[in-house]
Amino acid sequence: MRNLLALLIFFSVINGRLLAQQTVTGKVTAGDSALSGVSVQVKGGSQATQTNAEGNFQINVPPNAVLLFSNVGFSLKEVPVGNQTYLRVQLSSLSQNLQDVVVVGYGTQKKTTLTGASATVSAAAYKDQPVVSVSGALQGRASGVAVSSASGAPGGVVKVRIRGSNSINSSNDPLFVVDGVALGSTSFQDINVNDIESMEVLKDASATAIYGSRGANGVILVTTKSGKAGKMVIDVNTFLSTNKIKKYDLLGPAAYADEANHIAGTTVISNPGAGTDWQSKVFRNGITQNYQLSVAGGTDKSRYYVSGYYVNQTGIITNTSQKKIALRSNIDSKISNRVSFGVNLFLTNIQSLNNGDLGSKANPVVSSLAWAPTEPVYDDPATGAYNRYAISPIGPNPYMIAKESDNEGKSTTGVLNARVKYDITDWLSFSTNFGLDANFYRSAYLNNVWINQTNISSGQGYNDNYTLQNSNILNFHKVFNKDHNLSVTGVYEQTSNKYSGFNADGGGLSSTAYGYYALQLNATQGIRSDYSNWGLQSFLGRVTYSYKEKYLLTATYRADGSSKFQTTKNKWGYFPSVSAGWRLSEEKFIQDMNAFSNLKLRGSWGITGNQAIAPYSTLGLLGGQQYSYGTGTSYQGYTLGNPPNPNLKWETTKQWDIGLDAGLIAGRLNVTMDYFSKNTDGLLLQKTIPDYDGGGSQWVNLGSVTNKGFEFSVNFMPVSTKTFSWSSTLNFTTYKSKVVSLGGQDIIYVGYPGAGLVNTSIQVVKPGYALGSFYLIPWEGVYSQDDPVLGFKAGDNKYRDVDGNKSIGYEDRVISGNAMPKFTFGFSNDVSYRNFSVNIFIQGSQGNKIFNGTYAAIAAPSSDIRYPTLAESANYWTAKNPNSQWADPASKTGRSYIESTHYLQSGSYVRFKNISLAYTLTRKWIGFGDIRLSVSAQNAITITKYKGFDPEADTMGNSDIAAGIDLGAYPNPRTFTVGLNAKF
Amino acid sequence: MKKYLAIAVICLLAAACSKSLLKEEPKVPTGTDFYANANDLSLAATGLYALNNVAFNQVAGFATCYGSDDVGVARIGNKLSFSDFDTFQPNSSNDRMTNWWTSFYATIKSCNSMILNYAKATASDDEKNRAAGQAYFLRALSYFFLTRTWGAIPLTTDNKVDYTRPKAQPAEIYTLIVADLQQAETMLPDSWSGLGVQFQNGVNVAPTKGSAKALLANVYLTMAGWPLKQADKYALAAAKAKEVIDNKALYSVDLHANFNDLWQREFQYNNEAVFACYYNNNVPNTPWNQWDMMGPNSSQPGDENGWDDWFGEITFYNRFPAGARKDATYQSVYMVGGAPKDWTATALKHPYFQKYRDDASYDRVTHVGNWAGDHTVYIIRYAEVLLTYAEAAAMAAAPDVSTYNAINLVRHRAGLGDLVSGLSQSAFRDSVVAERGWEFAGLEPAARWFDLLRTETVAKANSIRSAGDEPLKNIPDDAQHTYYWAPIPINDVQLDPNLK
Repeated sequence: MRNLLALLIFFSVINGRLLAQQTVTGKVTAGDSALSGVSVQVKGGSQATQTNAEGNFQINVPPNAVLLFSNVGFSLKEVPVGNQTYLRVQLSSLSQNLQDVVVVGYGTQKKTTLTGASATVSAAAYKDQPVVSVSGALQGRASGVAVSSASGAPGGVVKVRIRGSNSINSSNDPLFVVDGVALGSTSFQDINVNDIESMEVLKDASATAIYGSRGANGVILVTTKSGKAGKMVIDVNTFLSTNKIKKYDLLGPAAYADEANHIAGTTVISNPGAGTDWQSKVFRNGITQNYQLSVAGGTDKSRYYVSGYYVNQTGIITNTSQKKIALRSNIDSKISNRVSFGVNLFLTNIQSLNNGDLGSKANPVVSSLAWAPTEPVYDDPATGAYNRYAISPIGPNPYMIAKESDNEGKSTTGVLNARVKYDITDWLSFSTNFGLDANFYRSAYLNNVWINQTNISSGQGYNDNYTLQNSNILNFHKVFNKDHNLSVTGVYEQTSNKYSGFNADGGGLSSTAYGYYALQLNATQGIRSDYSNWGLQSFLGRVTYSYKEKYLLTATYRADGSSKFQTTKNKWGYFPSVSAGWRLSEEKFIQDMNAFSNLKLRGSWGITGNQAIAPYSTLGLLGGQQYSYGTGTSYQGYTLGNPPNPNLKWETTKQWDIGLDAGLIAGRLNVTMDYFSKNTDGLLLQKTIPDYDGGGSQWVNLGSVTNKGFEFSVNFMPVSTKTFSWSSTLNFTTYKSKVVSLGGQDIIYVGYPGAGLVNTSIQVVKPGYALGSFYLIPWEGVYSQDDPVLGFKAGDNKYRDVDGNKSIGYEDRVISGNAMPKFTFGFSNDVSYRNFSVNIFIQGSQGNKIFNGTYAAIAAPSSDIRYPTLAESANYWTAKNPNSQWADPASKTGRSYIESTHYLQSGSYVRFKNISLAYTLTRKWIGFGDIRLSVSAQNAITITKYKGFDPEADTMGNSDIAAGIDLGAYPNPRTFTVGLNAKF
Repeated sequence: MKKYLAIAVICLLAAACSKSLLKEEPKVPTGTDFYANANDLSLAATGLYALNNVAFNQVAGFATCYGSDDVGVARIGNKLSFSDFDTFQPNSSNDRMTNWWTSFYATIKSCNSMILNYAKATASDDEKNRAAGQAYFLRALSYFFLTRTWGAIPLTTDNKVDYTRPKAQPAEIYTLIVADLQQAETMLPDSWSGLGVQFQNGVNVAPTKGSAKALLANVYLTMAGWPLKQADKYALAAAKAKEVIDNKALYSVDLHANFNDLWQREFQYNNEAVFACYYNNNVPNTPWNQWDMMGPNSSQPGDENGWDDWFGEITFYNRFPAGARKDATYQSVYMVGGAPKDWTATALKHPYFQKYRDDASYDRVTHVGNWAGDHTVYIIRYAEVLLTYAEAAAMAAAPDVSTYNAINLVRHRAGLGDLVSGLSQSAFRDSVVAERGWEFAGLEPAARWFDLLRTETVAKANSIRSAGDEPLKNIPDDAQHTYYWAPIPINDVQLDPNLK
């Protein structure tokens, strides 16, 4: 072998001497930073050099030379010179290997031989965007992935969906796997986004079936950063943002008084006065401060990455905030040639103030809009005595509630991953991986006299939640006869989770002087504890085979046993997948076309499962109820809960996918497209029980849902010169979801928020329609003349009597649009000129509807809100204003149904998620490192017809059947940011 | 190298040995293993009150009683769902009435479970009887309210889930109610004193044998009227009521001396309550099913930052005999624009009830009220037992000294003189029904609406409606009984085609 190499070198040297030389210059970088000391060598030749401190090199090469770039800790790269004289070369670190190797379930695989559908989001994609969460990094970055920030509260709810939603009542959240640990106790949002090197989104069954029972909603594999052999790198990243929202257009005091007097039919407000602008009282400019410091480095044998993180966010609602502090230490070491180990440790502490349940009709968001503008903030400004209740609505003073609330949460999360790998021979290895993710949560509250007039009280709660995972992986890899490449992986895995907690609550607190730290000062006291557990046992394997790296085949199989179902038969589920790929670009007839640098056709089929129901769901647990018998002490009682169902089993999703990857214009244009079809059967469904049988619901396996869609992503680099470059990525996703059957049931009425304002289901699940379908009474404007049939008069709201019973009611509801977008897209452009760089990132969602309950609440009288505050509502119908679209709110014949299409609005939007300008001061100028300064704006421009605060905000947060409802949803702010990044 | 392999193998084995991995270990009772002992029975009984009390701690379900002549509401803004019953135009989408439908049936479900399972518990016969007695009583109470409000309704006693339950006719429902109360009568104790948390501040919070008899008396009286019109039930009603009256000391019940006391915080517990729902605003952790939202705000005028959910109809108010009872029932002074005025000065020009305004949640000087309070909601007061006896005994035979004595006890406390003597049977009956109206006016569960239904006088009572009240959209018919029953809530009609 060595002789052969020597011979080769000898011949190439001879060759080189005989032919004319050319000079090539260029720059080698990794991510943003220049790489010094990179070895640059002519393949098969003797010419070699190294890059200088700025990463630049110069080398003489023979014609048609191929240059080899190598550096410790980075993957080797071959670059054909062709007729270029300047080369920009990107090296990728070995831990990441984004170009060549991708992370797959329980291993890695060469990207060229991958047959599944997956997408990569690397940290470089959002480098100038002030991202504080994993969801912020994902949004709009990959096709097939929909991320919506349902709440703009610091650390608020985010919905992540991969290829739509399969399940009606069970979870549709993807599985997050951080460095091999499938998160069970902690939220992916707890992970420090700055530590993430890359995220791999697994979409089709070929990629996800290896996760079996937890793979149906897609899997996101998160790889955190690791050190690189060589010089220590210190990275400091900091930014400061201000956040604000746009306001609703509301009535002023005088106009409000007029409308209230009109509705009451008498003077209820005689002197409107100067009044109060409740929106400016409750909302404020929020500030985010973000600091990250990391140190990374290592030797050939050991590598380390250590980081610290601190973020402090004040919310846009007064007296809300979140502070996060985090530490990570990633260490890898080789003990010997055959044995290596690694430990990744992550700890974070998150402190939240008043960020809890805001999705209700009486929360400060709705109340700040609904509170009478004629009311003062204080009854007595001198003593600070608040004006508790207004003439309308029935809820208390929103500023008082926001200001006086004291609900604190302290969450400590740890994610630990320890692994040992033993290379038994050069073709067989064994590794074992222990993962622990744990969350410790403490909550505390103090209700002072302004929060609860008659019951000053305090309470605390504590719970811990552990998930332990052990994976044992045996890996075989061998190449037979040069062309036959075979890998086999076998895994045995166990996962177990335990949750326990308790709450202590008091009433009649004798002194607030000690906050919530003196629960014993409560006259009445209540305690409670909770516990749950679940476990999962799995056997799985994968075989990949390729012939000449041209014909590719992968098959996986997983068997999962879950504690959540009863009998052995129901507990175990089996999840196979197969996929194949054909690299056309390796075929001569394609190579002859000289058009494609890469061309691959992929196809896959497989089955995944869903068991994401709460533990004990099938057991028919009793519900805890307390009754005090009129005293101040609560006595525990139990009432019958939902009925048991021992026959419940897995929900399964069959998916097939066909995809194409193409590289054009010498790799400067890369296109990936996929068509997929998913069919979910035996849905885990909560079937509604009639109220006369006690109400509630029962878990059943019923019905099926399909999702079919098309995904498309393009990476394009139109210009790439030494001083100027422009790269652009576009991703586009469209899919159709349809309920095929509900197992004989015709319709499922979906739960709704805001009881008292909304009084019946406004969404249903119905065969033939998508999940998230709205079910509303059709509103047809305002009567211009009397309707003797229905008994309405001119100026009343006109609704369609759908069932023809000559009366308007909930029986007239019909399917009226859907909360699911027709398509979503993300479009990012990076332009750099010398030391300047600009990023413009646009993200959008089209064709979805939103039920704007916030708007409805303030547009017409309802049980809680007596007089409307919406500015438009004052333009109501009168004989003199007969063309108004607003019914006369004082009508005694008319009705205003909130549950009507009147309040269904378009949720389409195009949003400039990020616009940033950055400038880099290089090491050359300042001596000790690179400094990058940036200014940016997030959500700067939103193009939408939506009339609410924010088309992304969603009261129901993570739900799919009750999606698209805005009822006091916490809006996402518009943000301006300055940032600084330094690398030493 | 071998040692690493050994470590790996040990790890693998250790992990594989956890046998309980696929087993669920809940630390709360499941339906199948509960009702095992006396403590379980006691926990299950406490749960029943938590459910039942939700029907009576808010005005919502009482919307179905607005068709009577004592309570009305302005047809404005957010009051339309109340007004729909007041003016006889309710539909199945009514959002207020569903509270009664869901709360009573939820109570029934847990009562059914107790009744089906209590016998297998390891407990003494007394413990079992007391537990089951409470369930029989509350199931009967729930069906009594349900069938008077909705008429023919699904009858569930088996706790199966059934999407095709037919409507059971009232006769069938009453058969179950009577049977349940006869059971409760034998199972419940005379007093809960010394038996646990059901006895508080000298008062039985849970039903006693006497409560079961009193409720059965009311049930018989109702069965004697519309829709069953079983005249033989008058005698049974009189007999049951008499058993309570004769044993009032045994059951710790009596007529409280002062009518006004019944609505004061100090008398949250008193012996007039034969059965009542008790609430407390100071219970830890804001469990709102333990607060009473019948008042103060709900019944206060908008002029005092109240919600105007209900007020007094004018004709009834004017006919209400003056005296201590009227003064305690209606608010006499109203703070309008900060100055004391009478009811004609309020924005809606109506008198307002002040029964649910205990002084812990309502300032009697400034009229500043909270939206929830501690006031007790009386399901059966001793006064009702007296009036049930008076009416039933008179209808079973003829008015006599005992019937006059019974009604006069109530009248005297109200600040009135004796009822005119020598009245005919029907005149005496009408006097008792009228007396009940004054006594329980203003959304007490012994609602005048139910009296109008059983005596088929809904239209008659509404025929003298004041022009100051909202005009009626439809006129009920006392012969055809139109608008007597509320429409069955649409949510269940949509799930069960037999309810259409």
